[in-house]
Amino acid sequence: MAVRRNNFCGSPEHAIDRRGFLGGVAAGAAGLAGLGVLAEPAVAAEMKKQQKRCILLWLAGGASQLETWDPKPGVETGGPFSAIPTSVPGVHISELMPKMAQRMKHTCLIRSLNTRNGDHNSGAQIMIRGRRDEPNLKYPDLGAVLARELGRADSQVPDYVAFYFATEGRGSAPGSAGFLGSRYAPMELYKSMMPENIVRHKDVSDGDHKDRAELRDLLSKQFARGRVSPTLASHNEAYQRVRGLMASDKLFDVTREPQTMRDLYGPTQFGEQVLVARRLIEAGVPFVRVSRAWWDSHGQNFETHQEMVPELDHVMAALLDDLGQRGLLEHTLIITLAEFGRTPQINPSLGRDHFASAWSCSLSGCGIKGGAVWGKSDQTGNRVVDGEIGAAQLFATIYSALGINPQKHYYVGSRPVPLTDPGTKPIKAVLA
Amino acid sequence: MLMGGNNRGRSLNDYLTRALKENRPWDRIFRDLVLPDENDPAKKGAGEFLRSRIMDLDRLTAEVSVVFFGVNVSCAQCHDHPKVDDWKQDHFYGMKAFFSRTFDNGGFLAEREYGEVRFKTTKGQEKLAKMMFLSGRAVDDPAGTRKPSGEEQRKEREQLEAAKRKRQPPPAPKFSARAKLVETALQPGQGDFFARAIVNRMWHRVFGHGLVMPLDQMHSANEPSHPELLQWLARDLVEHHYDLRRLVRGLVLSKAYSRSSRYPTGPAPRPDLFAVARVRPLTPMQLATSLRLATTDPSSLPASLKLEEFEKRIEQTENSARGFARDFEQPGDDFQVSVTEALLFSNSERMQRDVLADGGDRLVGRLKQIQETKVLVDVAMRNVLSRAATEEEQRLLGDYLKRRADRRVEACRQVVWALLTGSEFRFNY
Repeated sequence: MAVRRNNFCGSPEHAIDRRGFLGGVAAGAAGLAGLGVLAEPAVAAEMKKQQKRCILLWLAGGASQLETWDPKPGVETGGPFSAIPTSVPGVHISELMPKMAQRMKHTCLIRSLNTRNGDHNSGAQIMIRGRRDEPNLKYPDLGAVLARELGRADSQVPDYVAFYFATEGRGSAPGSAGFLGSRYAPMELYKSMMPENIVRHKDVSDGDHKDRAELRDLLSKQFARGRVSPTLASHNEAYQRVRGLMASDKLFDVTREPQTMRDLYGPTQFGEQVLVARRLIEAGVPFVRVSRAWWDSHGQNFETHQEMVPELDHVMAALLDDLGQRGLLEHTLIITLAEFGRTPQINPSLGRDHFASAWSCSLSGCGIKGGAVWGKSDQTGNRVVDGEIGAAQLFATIYSALGINPQKHYYVGSRPVPLTDPGTKPIKAVLA
Repeated sequence: MLMGGNNRGRSLNDYLTRALKENRPWDRIFRDLVLPDENDPAKKGAGEFLRSRIMDLDRLTAEVSVVFFGVNVSCAQCHDHPKVDDWKQDHFYGMKAFFSRTFDNGGFLAEREYGEVRFKTTKGQEKLAKMMFLSGRAVDDPAGTRKPSGEEQRKEREQLEAAKRKRQPPPAPKFSARAKLVETALQPGQGDFFARAIVNRMWHRVFGHGLVMPLDQMHSANEPSHPELLQWLARDLVEHHYDLRRLVRGLVLSKAYSRSSRYPTGPAPRPDLFAVARVRPLTPMQLATSLRLATTDPSSLPASLKLEEFEKRIEQTENSARGFARDFEQPGDDFQVSVTEALLFSNSERMQRDVLADGGDRLVGRLKQIQETKVLVDVAMRNVLSRAATEEEQRLLGDYLKRRADRRVEACRQVVWALLTGSEFRFNY
């Protein structure tokens, strides 16, 4: 597989090759080390402006659109919760989300997803890769593509971090670099807030750890003399990133945040992980996925959502506020997404089942038109009546919001593979 | 490639190991896999190839075409190939028709004498797929669109149930579509798909770069770098009854194979010129086994060991490496080493306490007993990299050890670590 680099997305603002630009900056600015701490304020500002990032809040198991973004109060299957007005006139969301209701100017809603797949595994794969794998082609997921498009080749921080502490549904949508290869595979956190092998083994002193790495480097340089191979180069690059990544352990340490900040996000596991996600993207990590499970409410749908939606509402609002105060919101896209939504029909266990024909997601922050609502489901929410889209258009919209041309091609061997299926158009109406 | 990347196929693995050991010709292996005789204990395990794939006919069709014929027709599943005139929807569904009558019957493969594949063309017309090999050669189907009568179906069901009860393979059909595929693919003049594909694959295996790249794109719009050579090797293979050992011997005794991976002056020539050997990453099993072997005290594997005992020890080593191998990624053509691997080598408990352990039969255990630094460095180099240390390396590693005289064991560990994590160890060069 040869991935040809063409970072030009067609717009005049992006006519400079982004990696080339950053590479030049990196070579020139001696202070560009460690955690994105920059010696040169002008350079820092420019870089900050250029780098876009993304946080995906993955609602594993399938959150209900009816109890979140597309309530249908008053109809027989509408459930017990009402709809409340938001700060955007005419837009109503579930009463379980009062905080987000006040922040709708940063968020757009898509209420017309028809993704035709109500199975946890294949549904999750489609929603995380934007399409189905082919027999002989494994597609990279959103995180891997963004790691490649938005990350830096020599980055000292991870490119793609994924939290998924729950066991339910974790196997459904594992992070996957697909044909992009393991360089863009996620750093996955399943059990501990600290990534695996990022902390030095206690039997090796810091000095020895550093010295033996230098020894390794010297020996490998001798070997590399006269040998040209991208794979060989990647081996040395991987080792050169080790010390930097180890220094990023602080980013994963939530106790380094002031108590007021921790209080803002709340004491829940989800809240803490989203706070760490903010620490990571602030330091230059281009993509973080935080999974919150388990929304699969086949029974007791309303109790489940009464418990989980307010937490989502609270944490999401905290994240938007925090990013806004740091000047990062306009450069950070926040996505709330699941593998599917839930049926309008209420089953005998007072649950809602899997439903992929008319459901919702939200995009906030970078590149989107806040307050916009795209698409419409019918009165009961059983089908889409306006603006139906699938995973491909959603992904095209996400890429566009982040300044990436959704029709940009990768090459797998000689085969051109566009980022989204050929001819897919983003939803212009929700883009800034 | 035949295992399809899963670990379930232990029996298939056993079959392949046996077949390669006795140098079974490639055309016979192909026949065993596509047309397994599940009554024959000598071919036990071969049926696993189809059985593990039969639930997904599209995937089976695509994989058989890739693995045995070097072509990827999966694009032609939905549309005629946009750039390659060779591949039409007829090819994909033509190949699929050879397999569509096959199914799993209680853990054994069964095949019907009837059954059809229909597909929608891009223009929306429904079309009946003719059994057709990739060369375009169609096979006459005696059943055609005939449907069995109710009586015939009832009889068939009874036969299948009886076979299930007896835990036996059901009777073979009088007309087997799969047998026709094998027959057609091996006929002279069928475009040499079969012979050229395995030659290209073996060449890729040995040189790290195929004569045609990628391996699954052997078609008229993607010429080989050395067409005459590919043709000659394919012809030689057919003339010598698909003898893979002869093929591999020819490749590894070639001048091209003996070339260095180093190109000291000027920019390196293109890989498809084979003027310089390719640096290739070890596979997960190779890497894990090498790690184990390289950190074993050399004196525990003396030259006096009997061959049988030696082979047993190597097998044990391979088995003990299997777990670690799962932590590494299978390298593809443009593989990039992940930082996860570098972190694993740098900081894991497994590396520090297991691979670099200083127990009795371990390398570090041996090194810590060697007083003279020069000897120590030499034992370490020979064990890990199978060569003597250069003067420069002697100096470099010697200095490193000397500076850590107060913690000699740790120093030994670190030197071995630097050798194990070095590119020379990680790559086949």
